[in-house]
Amino acid sequence: MSPKAQLGGIYPRSEQLIDLTRSYDRAKIDLDTVKKQIELETLELVTLQDDSGFETFSDGAFAWQDQLRPVVESLEGVTTGTRYDRWFDTNTFYKKPTIAGKIGVHTFEPKNFVRTDLLARTKGWKVTLPGPYTFSELSENLHYANQSDLLSAVAVAEHDIIKRLKDAGVSRFQLSEPCLVYRPYREQELSKAELDNALTALRKTVDGIPAKFSVQTYFGDATTILPDLLKLPVDTIGIDLFETDYSKLKIETTKKLALGIIDGRESNAENPTWIAETATRISKHIVGGDVVLVPNSDLKFVPRKVADVKARALAEATRLFEER
Amino acid sequence: MTQPLSSKDLVEAEEWAQRLGIPDFQDRAKQLLAAQEQNNRVRELLELSTIYGLRLFEQTGLDNVGVGGEQQRVEMYEHVIRGVEGMRVLGHVQSFDYKYFNKAVAESKIHRKHPIYLQEFLDVKKNANGQLKVPITGPYTLVDWSFSGHYSGGRTSLSLKKQKQEAKREFLLDFVQQVIRPEIRDLVDAGAEWIQIDEPAITTHPEPADMDLFVEGWNETVRGFNCKFSDHTCYPSEIGYKVLAQYAPKLDKCTHLALEFANRDGTGLGVDAKHREGYRDLEYFLQNGYDGEFGVGVVHVHDFSGHVPPGSGKEAGRNILESPELVRDRLLYAAKVVGDPAKIWANPDCGLRTRTWDVTFAKLISTVKGAELAREASR
Repeated sequence: MSPKAQLGGIYPRSEQLIDLTRSYDRAKIDLDTVKKQIELETLELVTLQDDSGFETFSDGAFAWQDQLRPVVESLEGVTTGTRYDRWFDTNTFYKKPTIAGKIGVHTFEPKNFVRTDLLARTKGWKVTLPGPYTFSELSENLHYANQSDLLSAVAVAEHDIIKRLKDAGVSRFQLSEPCLVYRPYREQELSKAELDNALTALRKTVDGIPAKFSVQTYFGDATTILPDLLKLPVDTIGIDLFETDYSKLKIETTKKLALGIIDGRESNAENPTWIAETATRISKHIVGGDVVLVPNSDLKFVPRKVADVKARALAEATRLFEER
Repeated sequence: MTQPLSSKDLVEAEEWAQRLGIPDFQDRAKQLLAAQEQNNRVRELLELSTIYGLRLFEQTGLDNVGVGGEQQRVEMYEHVIRGVEGMRVLGHVQSFDYKYFNKAVAESKIHRKHPIYLQEFLDVKKNANGQLKVPITGPYTLVDWSFSGHYSGGRTSLSLKKQKQEAKREFLLDFVQQVIRPEIRDLVDAGAEWIQIDEPAITTHPEPADMDLFVEGWNETVRGFNCKFSDHTCYPSEIGYKVLAQYAPKLDKCTHLALEFANRDGTGLGVDAKHREGYRDLEYFLQNGYDGEFGVGVVHVHDFSGHVPPGSGKEAGRNILESPELVRDRLLYAAKVVGDPAKIWANPDCGLRTRTWDVTFAKLISTVKGAELAREASR
């Protein structure tokens, strides 16, 4: 095995950027000043990934207000009112999408999703999007007859967005599906029919697009659905090691398993040696496939300085892993 | 505190002093500016801020003036953390959009450095004319919003998930014993009769292990104190208040729940379930046997950009100014669900700190008038 490391999702804003966004919010500075700092921080993150040997470039999504917003703002039939809901069990919030009409892509600006203008061509570009199941589960449906119809419509719309992002140069997509494994807010376990619907939607989302895809689960234990996820037509499946009991796993696959091995919700800087040892231990449960080392979720839940340390530790661990 | 006051600030302060009837503003301002010692100046400023908050609340006609809007606090998390030995602030993380909070880590075993809310309470007690309620941040929330660091839960033998759960329990029980109980002791000894424990984090972890931990922490927190206790929780995740409702009857001495509802409610007038969808979760508390009072959130405290029908209020910039009639209907529906109007209090959804004072004033006036209309309609 020769594991690589990847970042994905929203990376935390620096204290300087935070100060600027606050000043902008209070109408003390203009938006251009904020945008300039975002560009600077995007370039810094690219440098960090380049220097540390990450497999892909993620732009950090510094301008994203939450994990759903750019998708929401690209779709017709979807609005956000004033309702903020909690992002799972974190102390962060997202604007809840309201499905008020037939969903379709109405305005698409690649720059709202990824800063292709700031990413070098020396590595593939990675963009993280909410998976169709998670997006539909976190929305309020006022239009479609049932969740299944909504899910299908979201998959079609995301397929369209991904195709356009692929045309803009993005080569890898992470579809985040925490709702598949984080279940406390639901009265029932994920039923077979519901899982099948989610998997169908994921297939529809990636269908025919010549790009690499990972489906990343987090904030919950993926053990029970992992065999089904591994049948998806994507090259990588991700699990959150801080939630998933991997001790009884035995996985035969040709796919890559993305191990969420640094904890985006704790400030402890994982030791690269510990990461490499843990990844080695887990890799013994996998026959045939390879592993990728990733954070268990977006790193936006820790301050920027902490995230930088964690990111470097992740990259360092891949080197230690290879030496073992 | 270190930012110099601008002439605009002073003009605004004087205008509000006139509006709120603070007759000795000039003398206090002079005293404040003349204070040589920075600490004395800060102390004067904090007390004056408290007087502003109290007078604002009193002028709107509120039955309970709290602590005058927590004027002496940075915010609910950092204000406490800065008084705890062993905690270190690491930096900001996003809460939503361009709002952030400063997150800390436990670097060693924690204990209280000094009283956190006592001076504020003494200032309030000296200056208030109304009934008081002291909101404090609950230990579960403080722990949940912090990195556990020193509290590792034993690193090797358990699964990573179980280690985190163990760490949280150790951290929580230390927070209760070392920080929160000494704080409540001080407040009760100083005359506090009603303490509201703010626990917004609890609805984010509806798993049984976390809910049991919350109940254990709560019951240990209030044990032995002769005081009215209430819980404030807001902005739950997708599951709403359903799980909290199951556990609320297990909370010792918790005779009042103050909950956010307006955020999730429609803006049309009406007292039926269809119009008042945001308040339906109240039913769960009744079904589970909770028999205390409810502080019902009837005004929204965040930005608003939806539709406001005639009669329900109006939009003002990024705000909705709810009409007294909309507040009335929300209260009447809540009273209908609970079955006893005497158990219903009218509250804002949460703190109004992100609104301007003009907007806050208007919202609180509507809250008071809406409550009057609801009382009239119930007669």
